[in-house]
Amino acid sequence: MTELHPTLLLVEDEPEIRHFLKTSLSAQGYRIVESATGRRGTIDAASHKPDLAIVDLGLPDMDGVAVIRRIREWSPMPIVVLSARVHERGKLEAFDAGADDYVTKPFGISELVARIRVGLRHATRPSTGQHIVELEAARIDLERRNVLRNGVEIRLTPLEFRLIATLARHMGMVVTHKQLLREVWGPTHEEHTHYLRIYIKQLRDKLEIDPSQPRHFITELGVGYRLEAKE
Amino acid sequence: MLERRSWLGYGWALSIAMACTVIAWALSPPFNLVNVVMVYMLGVVFMALRHERGAAVLTAMLCIATFDYLFVPPRGSFTVEDAQYLFTFLIMVVVALTISHLVRSVRAQARAQAALALEAETERIRNALLASISHDLRTPLAVIVGASSSLVESGERFDASERQALARSVYEQSRDISERVVKILEMTRLEAGGLAIERDWCPPSDIAHAAVTRLRERMASHRLIVSVPDDLPLIRVDAGLIEQALSNLLENAAKHTPPGTVVNLRMQPRDRELLVSVEDFGGALKHADVDRIFAKFSRVKSEGGTGGVGLGLAICRAIVQLHGGRAWAENLSGGATAFRFVLPLEEPPTPPVEATADTRDD
Repeated sequence: MTELHPTLLLVEDEPEIRHFLKTSLSAQGYRIVESATGRRGTIDAASHKPDLAIVDLGLPDMDGVAVIRRIREWSPMPIVVLSARVHERGKLEAFDAGADDYVTKPFGISELVARIRVGLRHATRPSTGQHIVELEAARIDLERRNVLRNGVEIRLTPLEFRLIATLARHMGMVVTHKQLLREVWGPTHEEHTHYLRIYIKQLRDKLEIDPSQPRHFITELGVGYRLEAKE
Repeated sequence: MLERRSWLGYGWALSIAMACTVIAWALSPPFNLVNVVMVYMLGVVFMALRHERGAAVLTAMLCIATFDYLFVPPRGSFTVEDAQYLFTFLIMVVVALTISHLVRSVRAQARAQAALALEAETERIRNALLASISHDLRTPLAVIVGASSSLVESGERFDASERQALARSVYEQSRDISERVVKILEMTRLEAGGLAIERDWCPPSDIAHAAVTRLRERMASHRLIVSVPDDLPLIRVDAGLIEQALSNLLENAAKHTPPGTVVNLRMQPRDRELLVSVEDFGGALKHADVDRIFAKFSRVKSEGGTGGVGLGLAICRAIVQLHGGRAWAENLSGGATAFRFVLPLEEPPTPPVEATADTRDD
């Protein structure tokens, strides 16, 4: 991996969108490999060894979800999905197939760059490395299992801990409801989204400065949650 | 369904034949047989008018059989002394068939006419849609073409801040177009019934938060006051769609009221329903507008108000109705107008209670 100029694979069939993304992302210092079809994308992903892949879900030759699945067979590279608002279901499928994050078309370039940065940061850091989560008003030590809020120790339940740990493994990225339920409650509870709602609320109440304006436990409506650390 | 209807028709045939027989029996001593058979004819005509052909023919057969057996000499047998009665029976069947046929073709014509009327209505809506789309897209497109052509052709002659301003207007106008196009697509899908809703438990405050975040830029000109308690009961809805419905109400308020005025967003439970209310101070709606403002393409003329495809509220209503709720507008006291919807509240299952971990044990 080139530390200074990470390579991004861009799998997108619309030439105008490729053109605009190439121009804008190159200006941000990224090297861009363009693939106009899904098939080409899976080949380029193997031959160019990009640091991150951006995959459009609406490809003409093969389903974007299939491209993600193909890449995931051999590579843990971060994958950011470009989806249209009419493809809500496709987005969830993409996450199941192994996508890490998404932006909805039309998007501003800053939105995409933010997702790319988070993705690349993850790729360079071992997923088990981070055990301290710093929030505005709280500090969570996942290893020693203690939580300080404004310097005072507060208590969390084992499930609350597991929920934070799962979100923290994907710090800054979306984790789907299904994924959270599977990892925190177990595979038999994948349908019990109301558990998740209740626990997220408990965490917001305990850890957010203003639980009604959450800054850390961010809702991605219809998809999942995202844990944002202190800036 | 069809099966049940035809069984019902046969049931009617039996009842009508029996009713005719009772009346005929009561009349028969003073009246002669020519008039008695008319009672049966009346029954056959009634059935032919109201029911399928099969039921009408069955009625004719039953009437012929009972009339023959009970009234035609020799009574108490199906033999017919006078061959003229065979002619009477034939007429009865022909009447049943003829009337059934006529009724059938009249019904078909009525159906064709209704289909034509529907087609005309669809055509009218399509034209209205096209007209309002081209009207609504023309202005932002003009800005985009104009500003971007300036940048392409003589970008170097502008200073940095001017270039920035031109680029910004291209950006803003294209976002505007994008929102409108999404609305049109959504309405089309809602109309076609092609929108599957995927319900899931969701806190109403999350939906409010998502809508407010999405509209932050566009609501910046107004004072938005959000009163959504975060301990409202969970609702089982398609969160993305309800967020869209709410966003449309908020956008509507921002569009049709003067900048700087207050917009209230409130949510509260009442009578096993969740009330979502967006209140603005853009002046009361006229009585007629209160009723039709949620209809497609209705756009109440207001001074300084900007246009819109006029689909926002219709989409809101369609989404809310898909969830078994209702959407409406009402004038409040003090010149405020409320755009509201309610969603049914269900009892969410409660998860098992979990004790706080003693964190030092691990």
